[in-house]
This record gives sequence, C-alpha cells and structure tokens, in this order.
Amino acid sequence: MESVYLFSSGTLKRKANTICLETESGRKYIPVENVMDIKVFGEVDLNKRFLEFLSQKRIPIHFFNREGYYVGTFYPREYLNSGFLILKQAEHYINQEKRMLIAREIVSRSFQNMVDFLKKRKVRADSLTRYKKKAEEASNVSELMGIEGNAREEYYSMIDSLVSDERFRIEKRTRRPPKNFANTLISFGNSLLYTTVLSLIYQTHLDPRIGYLHETNFRRFSLNLDIAELFKPAVVDRLFLNLVNTRQINEKHFDEISEGLMLNDEGKSLFVKNYEQALRETVFHKKLNRYVSMRSLIKMELHKLEKHLIGEQVFGSEE
Amino acid sequence: MYVIMVYDVNEKRVAKILKIARKYLKWVQNSVLEGELSPGKYEKLKLEVSRLIDEKEDSVRFYVMDSQKVFNLETLGVEKGEDGFIF
Repeated sequence: MESVYLFSSGTLKRKANTICLETESGRKYIPVENVMDIKVFGEVDLNKRFLEFLSQKRIPIHFFNREGYYVGTFYPREYLNSGFLILKQAEHYINQEKRMLIAREIVSRSFQNMVDFLKKRKVRADSLTRYKKKAEEASNVSELMGIEGNAREEYYSMIDSLVSDERFRIEKRTRRPPKNFANTLISFGNSLLYTTVLSLIYQTHLDPRIGYLHETNFRRFSLNLDIAELFKPAVVDRLFLNLVNTRQINEKHFDEISEGLMLNDEGKSLFVKNYEQALRETVFHKKLNRYVSMRSLIKMELHKLEKHLIGEQVFGSEE
Repeated sequence: MYVIMVYDVNEKRVAKILKIARKYLKWVQNSVLEGELSPGKYEKLKLEVSRLIDEKEDSVRFYVMDSQKVFNLETLGVEKGEDGFIF
C-alpha cells in the first residue's frame, strides 16, 4: 500500500472507479486499490462524491497548508469497530495507574531510541539514561511530560554536534513558525510522521482520539502523537541528519515568512521523497526472523498496544 | 510482490481492460501497467480481468516478481508514465 503525496494543483475526482488527478498537464490515474492514504499539499479541488469514494475504499486524506502545517484529516467512517476495545482504551486512560504504565513505557522507550540513535553515531548519551531513570520514577503524566521535554532539549543539542554545517543546527526548538532551517525540517518531518501513524491507526481497532502520554481532549487525535514519539529518532531525526549532512537540502529550499521559515515546494517534495524511502527501509527483526519495513514496525507497535489493552500481553514486556 | 501486466486484447475491450487495471497498477505505456501489489489484490485483479476477456482471442500476461529489486529497468526514449506516488 502506498502513500500518495499531492503537490500540484488540480482536481481530484472519482473516474472509472479509481482516483484521477486532473491538472493542467493532463490526467493522472492513481491505483485506488493500492493507496493507503493521501497527503495533500497543493491547492486541490474535490467534491463530496470523491470523499464518499475514499470512505468506501477506506482511505484517509490529510491536508496541509502552504506552510506545511497539518490542517486536518478526513477520517472515513470507521470500519473496524469494537466497543470492547474502546471501553478498554477509556479504562486505561481514566485509571491513573494504568495510564501511567502506558505513558511511562512510551517515554522510556522513546528515550532508549534516542540513546540508541546517538550511540550509533558515537555520541555519548549518559545524561539521557539519567532521564530514563527519572521517567520511570515519575508519579503523574504532567511530570512525565516535563521530563520528556527536558530530555528532548538535551537530545537535540547532542544532535547538533553531529551537524557539520553550523547554519543547520537546531540550537533551540521553535515552533509555529519554526525560526531556523533545522527547526523547519524537524517540524515538517514530525507532522508527516503524525499523519502516517494516524493512517495506520485507522487500520486497527484503536480509537485515535484517546492518547495516554498526550492529554486526551476536545481538539484532535492524540494517540498518533504518542506512538510517533517512539519513531521520531529513527525516522525524522535520521532523515534530518542525512539531508543536512549530505547537503541535499540547502537554503534555496526555504522561504521566509513572517517571523519564521517554511519549506518551499521543492524542499517539501525532496523531503517527502526521502521520508517515503525511510519508511520503506527494512531492519532485521530478531523475533520474527525476517526483515520488516519501518512502516510495519509502527503497525506492530499499535498491535502491541492493542494486546496490552485487551490484557493479552503487557506493553513492552517482550523482546 | 511486484507485478507487470501486459495485454493484447480485441479493440472493443481495450478501454475496459485499462479501466480495471488502473485500479490496481500504474500505467507505464500503452497496454503496460505495473506496480507493487499484495497477493490478495493480485487475485482480485486477475478475477476481474478473466471475467472480461474473451479467452479465444485475448491475451493478458502478468510478470510476477518478489520485489522491484530483482530486475533492472532500462528505458530508451520517452518515459511516458509517472514515477512514484508524488504528484
């Protein structure tokens, strides 16, 4: 299954039972049976009939604005419904102890992933290990979030030591809008990852609105933010380092906007191309004894959480 | 798996075959489509095609490979289809 990215402007249509993109340069057909989700960056027109078609084919569509920020998702009618699992999800949220167990596991595993990421690049990460201990002792979620924030700040400063061109260092994390090159790339990468995880959640029984580390509230999806934490180092941060250190991305790929920066279309599509490749990359999975793609690893993480919720297997217990 | 589909069918059915194939695979050039496909979807595609064609005069071939990595592709002249899923 593929992710479709649209940068050109035109009309999205249902035609001959498949997806058709009509642009000035002609009609392009996208094989609907092979599409996992659609991510729209360009100025695209579409109608209700098309949304009905996506719903029928179970394809979520994500929208991003000109600056590359996430705007929203058309999340089709759920097809994997399970009242049982929703109750379980809520139960694990409402019960403080149960919620902490999941939140702590996510944080400490994401720290571990950061440490592994740095170690592979020969950076000492002792202080992060300290944070990991702290996280295991945290008593409530907001404390945990605080520790997570501090650790991440330190982690980014360590990543900076790996960036050869100093104009592309992170220095301080800034958002909405990001103020330097590095922050722009990381913000864009993170929002891509959030939507990818959301699309994968759609393929499970999980409800994306109930998250554990990130507060569940009235605004939006939060479970995808939780799971994305685990994969930021291996997907986004790695991509960032590769693109910057190989000088594939340079200042020409950015546009200035009020009080910040954004990636221009060329920059975005370069990033997306490499992002797709990163998700396709395979790693050897010892337990399964075969190679699995990054995307499948995310999916497996969701299944682990599902198993934890229904009480089959404790989250993070195996391996 | 990776599938390359090639067809040579009676003119009356060319458009119909194309419409079916486009649901599953990417158009490469006239009468040739290819793409990554799950085994289940591949079976669905074959079923839809077999219902349409006249077995006495039409011919549809599928080249089925484990992945895109097992073969090299060289093109002379124009690349008519789109590469990848970024538009």
